[in-house]
Parts: sequence; C-alpha cells; structure tokens
Amino acid sequence: MAGIALPRLSAPSLPGSVVLSFLVLAVVLAWSLFPGLFTQFDPYVGDTSQKLLPPSLRYWFGTDHLGRDLLARVVHGTWASVTSAALAVAVGLLAGGLIGLLAGFLGGWVDTVMARLVDVLLAIPNFLLAVLIVSAFGFETTNIAIATGVSSVAVFARVMRSEVLKTGSAVFVEASGLLGGSRWHVLLRHVLPNSSRSVLALAVLHFGTSILTIAGLAFLGYGDPPPAADWGLLVASGKDYPSSPWLVFLPAGVIVVTVLAVNRISRWIRHDD
Amino acid sequence: MTTELLRVADLSVRYGRQQVVHQVGFGLAAGKALALIGESGSGKSTIAKAVLGLLPGHARATGRIELNGTELLALPERHFRQLRGRTIGFVPQDPQNALNPVRSIGSQAHEAARLLGPGDSAAERQAILDIFARVGLAEPERIYRAYPHELSGGMLQRVLIGLAVLPRPALIVADEPTSALDVTIQKHILDLLDDLRGSLGLGLLLITHDLAIAAERAEDVVVLKDGAVQEAGTSSAIFRAPRSAYARQLQADVPALNPDRFRITGQTADAGVTAIRFRSVSRTFHADGRAIRAVDDVSFEVAAGSTHALVGESGSGKTTLARLLLGLDSPDAGAIEVDGQPVQGRSREALRALRRDLQLVYQNPFTSLDPTWTVRGIIREPLDRYGIGTRREREERLHEALTAVGLAESLLDRRPGKLSGGQRQRVAIARALVLQPKILVLDEPTSALDVTVQAGIVEVLCDLQRRLGLTYLFVSHDLALVRQFADTVTVLRHGRVVEQGPVEGVFLRPAEAYSRALLSAVPRPIPDTVPAAECSPASV
Amino acid sequence: MKARSYLGFLLRRLVQALVVVVLSYTATFLIINVLPGDPITNMLLDPDNGFSQAEIAPIIAYYGLDRPVPEQLWNSFSRFVTGDLGISLRSNLPVAGLVLEALPSTLVLASSALTVALLVAFALAYGSQNLPPRWGQGILRSIPAVSLAVPTFIIGIFLIQLFAFQLGLFRITSPDSAAATFFAALALGLPVSAQIAEVLITNLDHEARQDYFAVARSRGLSRGALFRRHQLKSSSLPVVTMIALAVGELLGGSLITEAIFGRKGIGSLVQSAAAAQDFPVLLAVVALAAVVFVAVNLLADLVYPLLDPRLRRRRGTAGDAA
Repeated sequence: MAGIALPRLSAPSLPGSVVLSFLVLAVVLAWSLFPGLFTQFDPYVGDTSQKLLPPSLRYWFGTDHLGRDLLARVVHGTWASVTSAALAVAVGLLAGGLIGLLAGFLGGWVDTVMARLVDVLLAIPNFLLAVLIVSAFGFETTNIAIATGVSSVAVFARVMRSEVLKTGSAVFVEASGLLGGSRWHVLLRHVLPNSSRSVLALAVLHFGTSILTIAGLAFLGYGDPPPAADWGLLVASGKDYPSSPWLVFLPAGVIVVTVLAVNRISRWIRHDD
Repeated sequence: MTTELLRVADLSVRYGRQQVVHQVGFGLAAGKALALIGESGSGKSTIAKAVLGLLPGHARATGRIELNGTELLALPERHFRQLRGRTIGFVPQDPQNALNPVRSIGSQAHEAARLLGPGDSAAERQAILDIFARVGLAEPERIYRAYPHELSGGMLQRVLIGLAVLPRPALIVADEPTSALDVTIQKHILDLLDDLRGSLGLGLLLITHDLAIAAERAEDVVVLKDGAVQEAGTSSAIFRAPRSAYARQLQADVPALNPDRFRITGQTADAGVTAIRFRSVSRTFHADGRAIRAVDDVSFEVAAGSTHALVGESGSGKTTLARLLLGLDSPDAGAIEVDGQPVQGRSREALRALRRDLQLVYQNPFTSLDPTWTVRGIIREPLDRYGIGTRREREERLHEALTAVGLAESLLDRRPGKLSGGQRQRVAIARALVLQPKILVLDEPTSALDVTVQAGIVEVLCDLQRRLGLTYLFVSHDLALVRQFADTVTVLRHGRVVEQGPVEGVFLRPAEAYSRALLSAVPRPIPDTVPAAECSPASV
Repeated sequence: MKARSYLGFLLRRLVQALVVVVLSYTATFLIINVLPGDPITNMLLDPDNGFSQAEIAPIIAYYGLDRPVPEQLWNSFSRFVTGDLGISLRSNLPVAGLVLEALPSTLVLASSALTVALLVAFALAYGSQNLPPRWGQGILRSIPAVSLAVPTFIIGIFLIQLFAFQLGLFRITSPDSAAATFFAALALGLPVSAQIAEVLITNLDHEARQDYFAVARSRGLSRGALFRRHQLKSSSLPVVTMIALAVGELLGGSLITEAIFGRKGIGSLVQSAAAAQDFPVLLAVVALAAVVFVAVNLLADLVYPLLDPRLRRRRGTAGDAA
C-alpha cells in the first residue's frame, strides 16, 4: 500500500496510451537518427514548379513556397529539435539537481544561498531570460537550448530539494544512520534512489516543455536561420502563407503529438498508472 | 423482531473482480449496540460505508440493507441523501482529518443543524451550542469559533459526535471512533457514546478492531475475517466460549484478555548487571518561543536480560527517552549509561561503535524500510556498513537472523512493498538483530499491526530474549501489552515519572492516581473473568 | 503576539524580496555586460553600425564603460532605483519613455489574459467534479493536458486563421480593437488556464478523497453544496500562488502573442531590442519584470496566511481534556 516501487518495466499491464506514447517517441527518435529512411525528398532543395501544394499521396505534408516537401523538412528538422530539447533538460537537470541536492542535504547557509539563487532564476521570466541569453551570446539553436535549460534550473532545484528533504527525514534514512551508514552512504544509497522518481518524471516533462519553448524561440527567430528546419521555424515560415494552412498546422501537429506522448510518459512515471 | 432498526442480509460487495464482503448478515435493534470486529482487510469498514451509502462509484453491492424497513441499496442517491445525517449519523475514525481545516467548526456545525428543519441562524446556533455542552465541551462559544487545528483530538471527536447526534438520527455508525486517541480519552469518548445511546435511544453500529472494546461496549458482536462472518452472537457468549477458530485465536491474542500469556515463570534476569541507566535526565524543546519539557528529571535502571517498559500517552516523553538512549538526541541535564559507559559526549565513531550493541526497532514498518531495497539488502545493510566478517559469514548471519524471526528464504528478493505489515516488522527486527546487539529498543513495535500479527511479533521477541539474553527497552502506550511483555515499568506523564517498579506491583496496586486512571481506562470486557496476575498461563 | 509575529514574517519576506531584486539586477547586468565581453562597446565600435566617434564618447561616459565593472553596476543600479532606465542604443531615446509607452497595451493584454485564464480554469474545474462521470468529465479532464502540449503560437495562429480570416470577427490590421484584443488574450491566457485548471482539478480530487469530505457527505450535503463548501476553498488557495507565478508566464508569452497579433507592447519592444542588440532596453525590461514578479509573489505570500487559517499563528491549543 505504502510502497513506492519504481514502475515495473516488465509489467504486462502497461496502459494502452503509454504504449502508444512510447511508439510515438520511437518514431521521433528514428526520424532524428535516420531521416533518410523516412523520406526520399531533399529537405533543402525544392522543385519550384511544385510549390505550395496541399498534402497528397506524393507529398504527405504538402510543399512549401520553394516547392520543398514539408514532411522531409519536418523529418530532417527532428534532430535539431530533439537534441536541443535534450540539451536543455541536461542543463536543467544537472545544474538544478545539484543545487537542490546540496541545498536539501547540507541545509544551513548553503540552503539559504541556494534558495536566493533559485528565487533569482524564478524572478526573471523564463522566456525573457532565454531572449536575454540568446541576445548576449548569439542567435543560435544551441544557445536557445542552453538558455531554456538555464531557465528550468529553478524548477529542478526546487523539486530535488523538496524530494531530498522528504526522503532525508524518512524513518528508513535515520535507521540507516543507526545501522552504521555514513552520510555519503545514506545520500547515495537511500536518499537519491528514493528521490529519483519525481525528478525523472520532471525531466521527461521538461523534455516536452523544452520542445515547446525552443519551438517558440525559434518561431521568434532566435534560433539558427533558414534554411534550417527546426520545428518552430517551420511553423514561423509557414505562417506567412495563410492560404496554405498545412504549412503551419502539420508541423504543429507533430510538435503537439510528440509533447503529448512525452507528457503521458512523465505522468506514468510519476503515478505508475 | 418488530423493533429492528437495521437489518443487513446477504450483503456482498465487490470492487471490480475482487470481492471484499461475502454474504454478510446481521440485525440491530433500536437503542442497542452491535460491534463489527475484524482486522485490516476484514471488510468491516466497507460494510459501514455500504450502510451509509458512501461506497465509491466502482463498488458493486448486492443483498439487502434495511433501515426501519426501507431497503437502502436500491435507493437512488437523491433519496439516500435525505437519510444521511437525519436518520443515519456517522462518527469517523480519525477526528483530526474529519473536519475541513479551512473552515471554522461553527460553519460546519450549521450543516448539521440545518437538517433539523427550517430555522433561523440564531436558533441553529443555539442548538449547536447546546449539543456542544451536551457532549461535554466546556466552552461551546469558543469551540464554535475555533478552527479544527486549534482543538485536540479528543475535543474534535466530541464535536463530531455532537454533530452526528444533533439532527437526532436513529442510527449511529461509528468507524473505529477511538483508535486515533489516547487510552484515557478513549474511555471518555466511549462513555459518551454509551451515555448518548441510552438517553437518545440511538442504535449504535460500532466498527472496531479491538475485541476488548467490542466486548465492553456492545451487546452483540459480529466477528469478520476476509469479508465473511466467522461468528455472531452476544458479546458475553463469544468471549466466554468462542466457537469459531478465528474468534478463539483473536481472543487468545488480545493482550487485555490474557495478561500472562508470555510470562515465563522462573526466568530471572541477570541480577546485579545493569544494562541501561538513566540518571536525572531532562530534555527541553523550544518551539514557537515556548519551552516544552519533554523529559523532566527521569531516572531508571534496566537489568541485563530483562524487559523494561516506558508507558505513557502521547506527549509523555517516552519516545524522546528512547532517542536519547540511542544518541539521536542529547539531554540538557543528567546522564545515560549503557553497560556502564556514557552515551553522550562521544565522537561520531565512538557512537557508531556503541550502536553495534544498541539497536532500534521502529514503530511503523511501513516507513522504516527503504522501499527501493530488497529484503536481502535491508538485512545485510548493517553487516556491510560495519564490515563484519567475510562475505560468506555475512550471508550466514543473514540467514540466521531470517530464521530467528520466522521469515521464509523465498522473501529475500522481495521489496517491502510486496510484504505484509507483520512480515515487514519481522524484517526490521532481523535487521536490528543481525549485528547481535545486547540491547534492543522497541519503539511501539506492534502499534501499526493487527492484534493477531502483534501476538506473533511479541512471541518472536520473547523467544529471542530467552535464547540470546537480550535486554529490551519497550516503549508503548498499550498497558495490556506491557502487562504481558515487560518485567519492570516506568509510567510517564508530561515528561515526568509517575510511578515505576515491577509490572505486577504497578498493575495490581497502582499507587498513583494517574496510573489508576490509565489502568481503569483499559477496556475490561467481562470483569468477573479477568484473571488475577498470580494465575499461571495454563488457567487462561 | 499574533500581530507581532505577522509583522516579523512581513519584514523578513520584505528583506528577502529586496535581496532577490538586487541579485536579479546584478545577474542580468552581468549576463549582458561581462560574460560575453561588453556587448555595448562591441556594438558601438562595430563599423557596420555607423556610430561616429562623437556619438560614442558620451554613451561610453554615460554607462561608465571605461570604469571597473562593480562601479558600472553600481551606477546602473542607482540610476535604475531613481527611475532612470538608460538610453536606448537604437533610438537614442530614454528607455523609461519607451517602456511607459509600451506598457498600457501589454497590461490590457495580460490582465485580460489572466481573466480569461481564471474563468476557463474554474469552468473546467467545476465541470470535472459536477458533470456525469461517464461523458463530459472524461473529455473535460483531458483538455488541460492536451492544451499544455500545444505551443502558444499555434493557438494564436489558429485563432487568427479561424476568427479573422474565415469568420471575419476581427481584422488583423487593427490589432488594438476590442475583438482583436479579446482573441489575443485568449491565445495568451489559454496555456495559463490549462496550468491552473490542472492544479485545481488535482486539488479538488484530493479534497474529495479526504476524510472530512466523506464525513460532510454523511451529513447529507448535496453534490453542489459539497463542492462549494468543502472542495472549492482549500483547492483555490494554491491558485493565489499560481496567479503570482503566471505573471512571468504572461510577460514572456506576450512576446509571441504580440508578434502574432501585430500588437505594440512590451513584448514587441523586447523583440526589436533583441534584434538590434539594444541592451539597455533588455536590461530595463528584465529588471522591471523581476521587480513585478517579486512584488506580486510577495503580495501572494503575505495574503496567503490570511486566507488559510492553518497558517495563522496558533492561538495555543487549549487543554487536552476531552
């Protein structure tokens, strides 16, 4: 009843929506690793005689104003979108996780200093912070990703800290101390494993959020310039052709489905249901 | 049976594919009390919910529940709602969570008062204040304005009983109404329910896990196990001559009914050798700018190989004393010695060395075991931490400890989430034993467990003491259990020693008023059959 | 006793808030001026930007760019405190004026968006508890999760496509009309409403599982009365905190929404400043956003204990004598 065992990966009763979500992620991963397997069109060079065609059997997602196949652009843009989101999560998870861990475990003045640091990160709105960083360091997708990661440090730090405080005060942690465990043993073998579940769920959730934020920043033009095929950039250039709505809504649909899948998996990790 | 208030017949409840109540039937006459007894998983709370019409949406109930001749199970929610409060009142288990914390008690009381019929707010208010006075709350006006967190558990339970009887129901369903309360307060609340039942002519459906309470407070008893009736009848019949095997076991396992079950005649502690010594120990905590004397000038000694009990209600300082002994906290004044060596003023390393001989079993095995570890890892942890023996020897010790607490090898690779409460507490004891300590501190080791499981744990502890000569410091609020298990006892109240000495002396001839109050609060089902302490176990 | 402890809490929180404002300003200043190597000077000296020597000298003197960094920071911060937000590098106008000019439009947008967000969130939350569970509830409950997966800019583009181009309810060419503002507020507010609705629904479900909910039900309360009296208040309290946090969200979101709907406001000001490397404007907007955020959160923290009786000072639990 009170068990908080990690989700059993071998569990036969995986909910259907979770299986579907994993399938979606598998497709996205395959697109980013082997884009050539999914489309024979060139994402950068189009056939101008075929421009702005609606979706058809030949062009599943239609074509853009230069006659490039939109599906090819989406597939080839996956790598940039996925890796930048992963980079953002890595930055947030490592920096935030470390800050939260130290603050929660050491307490005292370390906790106070870290708390103010986190307050500062929270006080500057995420999107503004990202714009600020990108303006200062240059308009590049990598910088967008780092900026997005930095703006999520506060959330990771908060969750990590509260998890460490929660498990740190658990009875089994005190018990381990009584049984001869050193502070480091307690931290590494008891506190971290028990805190990892919520932090993992948060990291997965932030992978989705980062895709959205990065797409938003790319949409505003802070990422790599065209002809890059970032998902956000695709939507941004598509919106200049309101009579060809597929240029906006099909790449957007890919973003939405991916993020939905990621969020569902995060929820599953958190609740195991 | 013309005066029958409640009749349950052939009641079955299932959650999805799992059936939790199997064809249960019983009847309750107006003005009488019926107790449903059972341990966790017996389905007793599900039956209570079915009577109240509060089963969750995915539950399927079949059979009949008739209240004054009206069939309840088929009743649409719209009509059932008219009965709740007006005809059936409910007294919940945990008073601390039974009132909305963000609303004042008065505003919630008006919800009950409104059921009396259309009346103005002032009349409702008067009715509320009257009922508060009726249930023994000293300052009704203050209670009316207070928020739940400002009152003690006992006061809240009085409020809740007041609110339940305010709309003059015919039936009160009380779900473990005292299990979250201290023993002396428990008695007051049960007395209040008895009194109201008599004066208002209520029928009382009492749900409890405590056989002694059921016997003392109800005319009729239904014993449940795994959702099925084991035995039903008048309470005196079931106590004098339980017919079903389960009722017999339950009866044998209730400490209050068998004070001498674990008494070993002729066993002598290592006379002269003092394992634990507390000398004038005091500890004060500061919170909200107030000083709270958790422990105030406490002294006692425990002979090696014996069991000493620290008894008291919540806030008596008993757990603080246990933590002081383990070096988890330091006293402001006084000294604590283990085997003649001081506990305080040690370096981290010296404290660690001391704890090899001094281990703790926690109250709640649901929180004291790391859910991400396997049983093997949990029991081996102290051996690995202290680096004892070779890999082989550690494995041997692990298996010894496992056998000593009566656990099967097949459980070694499970995680705590897959174990029952009793199995978990056995794992916790094995973990404490594996270092072969001389002293074990037992902090309410069975209070989170069912009574039959408790009996098993106590038996294991007694057996280990006999074989290994362990010294126990046993912290408990359960006087009946202390009577069964301990050799000497210290009774504590508000951090001070009220009385101490050998268990027999303190229990048979309590010198202090508080000890007497505590003892008289222990439910005594059938006074004429409580055996005298001189009886040998065989005569029970 | 009670009043004094609240005063102490108030003072502590106030000092904390000031510290955070100072640190936020410092951090922003350092990101801009120090880490990548003084971008203002770089920009001024970039021949492509065509600043003459005569123009450069006073700017360098104004910002003290030839002085040590701590002194620059101190200069800049003390000017900020007195309301001097610097001079825009792009337009050579005082930043304070630019911000004041842009502010009203964004305030209207953000406050309408917040209103929309709260209305939608509470409507969803009400439905999640009171609609028949079979149909309705299930769909309603999935709305927040789905809309959290939709990028803000898609909502905006979709609203324009549908309501401006297809139905003609507003014209994109007059972005400040009431109708256009409403749809912009909708685009900005919907993601925020999804967040609030998720928390609200989680809290309402949590309340419904509490003992006191069952006990209140046993007192014969109807579904509606239970919702009003026993679920809503404690579930809504965290919304106060969420509104405070949403301020940052709304400010950031205004960048995208203003860009899509063609509105002139703080968002578009930031957009053009970022494109032109106009760092004094960026510094001013970020610092002001931090001040607003800290102030709103301070307010929320101070109001919270007044709403939740559990957080008020205990009046001393009187007697354990039941």
